[in-house]
Amino acid sequence: MTPQTLAVAASTISASKIYGSGEDAVYALNDVSVAFYEGQFTAIMGPSGSGKSTLMHCIAGLDELTKGSAIIDGVDLSTMKDKGLTELRREKIGFVFQSFNLVPTLTANENIRLPLMLGNDKGDEAWIQNVINTVHLQDRLTHRPSELSGGQQQRVAVARALASKPRIIFADEPTGNLDSTTGAEILSFMRKAVDELGQTIVMVTHDPVAAAYADRIIFLADGKVVNEMTEPTAAKVLDLMKTLGN
Amino acid sequence: MFRIALKGIVGRKARLILTSLAVILGTSFLAGTSVFSDTLTRTFDNLFSDVFKNVDAYVRSSQVIEADFGLEERQRISIDLVSVVENVPGVRDASPDVQAFARIIGKDGKPLGSDGQGPPTFGSIGEEFAGALWSVAEGKWATASNEVVIDEASAKAGKYVVGDTVKVVAQSGSREFTLVGIASYGDVRSPGGATFALFDSATASEFLTKPGFIDAILVSGDGSVSDTKLAAAIQAALPTTAKTETLTGAQITLETQDQIGSALDFFGILLQTFSFIALGVGCFVIYNVFSISAAQRQRENALLRAIGASRKQVTRAMLIESVAVGLVGSTIGLVAGIGLSKGLSALLKALNIDIPSGGLVVKQDTIFSTIVIGLVVTVLSAILPARRAGKVPPLAAMRATALEIAEPGRKRLYGGFLSIALGVAIISAVVAGANNSYLGFGILFVFIGTIVLGPIIARPVALFLGRPAARFRGITGVMARQNSARNPKRTSRTASPVLIGVALVTAVTALAASIKGQINDVFTEQFKGDYAVTTNNQFTGGLSPSLALDLNKLPEVDKASGIGLITVKLNNNGQYFTTIDPGTVEGVFDLGLINAKYSDLTPNSIFLAESYSLRKNLPIGSNVTITLGDATQRELTVRGLYKFDELAGNFVVNRAMIANSAVVNFDIGVYILAKNGVPDGEVQAALDKAVKKYGQGELLSKDEYIDKQSGQVNQLLGLIYGLLMLSIIIAFVGIIITLLLSVFERQRELALLRAVGMTRSQVRTTVRWESVITSLLGAVLGIILGIGLGWVIVFALKDQGLTSFKLPVVPTIVIMVMSFIVGLFAAIYPAWRATRVNILDALNTN
Repeated sequence: MTPQTLAVAASTISASKIYGSGEDAVYALNDVSVAFYEGQFTAIMGPSGSGKSTLMHCIAGLDELTKGSAIIDGVDLSTMKDKGLTELRREKIGFVFQSFNLVPTLTANENIRLPLMLGNDKGDEAWIQNVINTVHLQDRLTHRPSELSGGQQQRVAVARALASKPRIIFADEPTGNLDSTTGAEILSFMRKAVDELGQTIVMVTHDPVAAAYADRIIFLADGKVVNEMTEPTAAKVLDLMKTLGN
Repeated sequence: MFRIALKGIVGRKARLILTSLAVILGTSFLAGTSVFSDTLTRTFDNLFSDVFKNVDAYVRSSQVIEADFGLEERQRISIDLVSVVENVPGVRDASPDVQAFARIIGKDGKPLGSDGQGPPTFGSIGEEFAGALWSVAEGKWATASNEVVIDEASAKAGKYVVGDTVKVVAQSGSREFTLVGIASYGDVRSPGGATFALFDSATASEFLTKPGFIDAILVSGDGSVSDTKLAAAIQAALPTTAKTETLTGAQITLETQDQIGSALDFFGILLQTFSFIALGVGCFVIYNVFSISAAQRQRENALLRAIGASRKQVTRAMLIESVAVGLVGSTIGLVAGIGLSKGLSALLKALNIDIPSGGLVVKQDTIFSTIVIGLVVTVLSAILPARRAGKVPPLAAMRATALEIAEPGRKRLYGGFLSIALGVAIISAVVAGANNSYLGFGILFVFIGTIVLGPIIARPVALFLGRPAARFRGITGVMARQNSARNPKRTSRTASPVLIGVALVTAVTALAASIKGQINDVFTEQFKGDYAVTTNNQFTGGLSPSLALDLNKLPEVDKASGIGLITVKLNNNGQYFTTIDPGTVEGVFDLGLINAKYSDLTPNSIFLAESYSLRKNLPIGSNVTITLGDATQRELTVRGLYKFDELAGNFVVNRAMIANSAVVNFDIGVYILAKNGVPDGEVQAALDKAVKKYGQGELLSKDEYIDKQSGQVNQLLGLIYGLLMLSIIIAFVGIIITLLLSVFERQRELALLRAVGMTRSQVRTTVRWESVITSLLGAVLGIILGIGLGWVIVFALKDQGLTSFKLPVVPTIVIMVMSFIVGLFAAIYPAWRATRVNILDALNTN
């Protein structure tokens, strides 16, 4: 699969995120132009402070760029106000965070349907059932988060991200708080979502094993894209990271 | 540990401010009310020391009957005594004094001043006198029977200038005078907003009181002897038959101040009681804030424990914080309270109750007690949360901050039920006949039990109340409902102040409704006329007895009968006797006579209430001896008994008995039966015209009259509502504080919701409905308790003649709606804060 044959789900053009000004200015992102393709599982890697989370937040409409633009589904996010961004996140984006992914007062089922319910949208019931089956949550739907294990909670989070059939899903270290077995389970669900359900996922991680589940890896350092890799394996990623001086 | 505690305080300013807020509010009400009542007391003290500033001796009748409600009726003395006093050595000048009802009619025909409510309208004597406070600002003093002087303020209000003809209405009727002068009182145009018509002494006694009689003699000495000696010399010079007593200027000043003082004391105690209730409500808020803050600091405290702090040290750190909060809060509260009392004075001014300003009185006691009470209350409220903070296991530091999960314990369940059961048992015992004074304990136990059970009932009730929100507000409603139930302890602590406030409001409302219902029933049963003339003027007399006679003569009127009230000494106790006119009373005012006719009431007879006759063993035919206000004695024979004693009291006599005596005689009402077949409009017009001549008295139709009687309860109700507002305000602030703390606590959750697509307006909706559900939770429980409390109070007042409990349906609905609105308003700021949560910051903190 080459980039030319795939549609772009989200992209940035000369994106910069600058904290402070003048001589004290710190570049969290420095002129980053990158595209994420539909139906692909992309990982963003890089050492702490490389700007990988900032990049994700800016494309996902959680943070604002200082310069340049972030585009989702053909829309430039910098032109949108809070309400528009909120609706965009609700309808076109799915999120999986490292921790605290669920609303403690709602059941698993309610958590999965949360973005749809917020938009007063019933959603595609067949699709939702399909998602729930894919992540094996059928018999956990009435439980509240406190009654679920960490892995189950994260599966609910993945299901929630998928439920509204978003254009793109952003996952921020989704396995960071899980043991390796449970982490692997979550990653394979995400892989399945891309392969079987045709979803688009962008995942921020610093774990080479997790990154190896992706179709493509973008490496960031000091706010710049420094490398890219397709069809990665954990070993290849580790090697590359060594050369990047991590 | 001390330093850690201090750092904790300084490091979390928001929390300090929020915690202090409850202390500030509670103590400011306390300080404000005490400064206000001290200021009021001093103001009146000054006012009355001014009145008698130049009076060295004061002569008055020694004949007085003191009756209920602190009212007394003192006889008048002969005007001839003035010349006797003037000739006593050491007396420079003596002046007769009269203070009676007189109403100046303005040029437009409208009476000046107000009828009863507000400053009084006086008629008095204005003459050249060495000790006088009145001075002629323009013209001269009145010297003839057709001359009058009025105060400057009245002259201005009535648009009068010297030379005009002024109509003045007094007890004896209305008359026209020539305005010969305009007077000022010290450097004030009119004292305390009252209106004054001043006459020469002969005219005053003849027109205002009774010819030849005055209220007192004011004496100014020449300074040759002390006031005490002067008073003694005057008293010695007066004949014993005149039955006088002579006071020094200082004594009369003190007596007047005491009278006003006790009235003000009552007001002060009322204010203080309600500010203590408010402070009690504030305790819940303080306790709640400390509890939440202890829960939020669980990890921090656990960390301290893990690195070696003892339980005691953790607890002590929190107590130190409470001391700081208490000190800061009550100091600010004190200052705020002083400001508040200024506001109260301004409010009174706006209500036309002008108090001469003498600066605020901030006593040392007030400062001391405010700070001590504020401090003690805060520390006491913090003890439990502080102990709980100490109990936190060091391991909690390693866990993610768990939500404060409240699994209400069995102890709580049993304790709560036990307390309620005990309270109900006590109340039942009282209902069954035990002493009323235990009732308070019964009520207290029920309240405590309900509050102890609060956390257990909060969850199911909040979930129930949240149903409509969940149903009609979609996912935001669902979350609001869950949020209000997620931490039942917190929710119930937040709702408790609302509960207490609403319970008191409901109880008072139920009591008022019952009293009003009762008044309605009584008047409907006993008042049989078509119209009534009443007066609000109870300070300087009532309606002239001749009004009833005049109205009776009108061709449109079948019957008009005056009902009066006199003070009588019976077995050395002051009592009120109702005076009626047996010739006209039948058919307008029903006493419920038992085996008697009104005509049986001859001038030397008395009718007794049946219950009184039984209690005192005074059957028909027995005799009672009474002393009238003029010190004469009468022997009356019981000629009849009656059932309806709610209005008439225990004694009814014939007004002819006092017709030619010196007893102060006025009517409190005239009841009128219209002649059959005469149209309402004509009757009303004729009555209106006749009543207007007297310058006082209000003509009311039957329905208006009955409404007015029950409407009087509304005034008191309004005052109590106003005072309960203090508690409601604190409850309101309590909701705001808790919501704010919850919002801070749920930042990450809010950030997550915002990230997955919750709009700001949806965030606001969620917070708003949580607030409404919490507020309604308090209101529902409060209404239930309040209705119970109201019923119990009405029952306790059974002996006072209150027989039926009335459920205040409409007010209860209003209270629910108000609680709903309170919830909406309390949520405004916390909801706004919730929308300002920074998604990234909240998500990135672990």
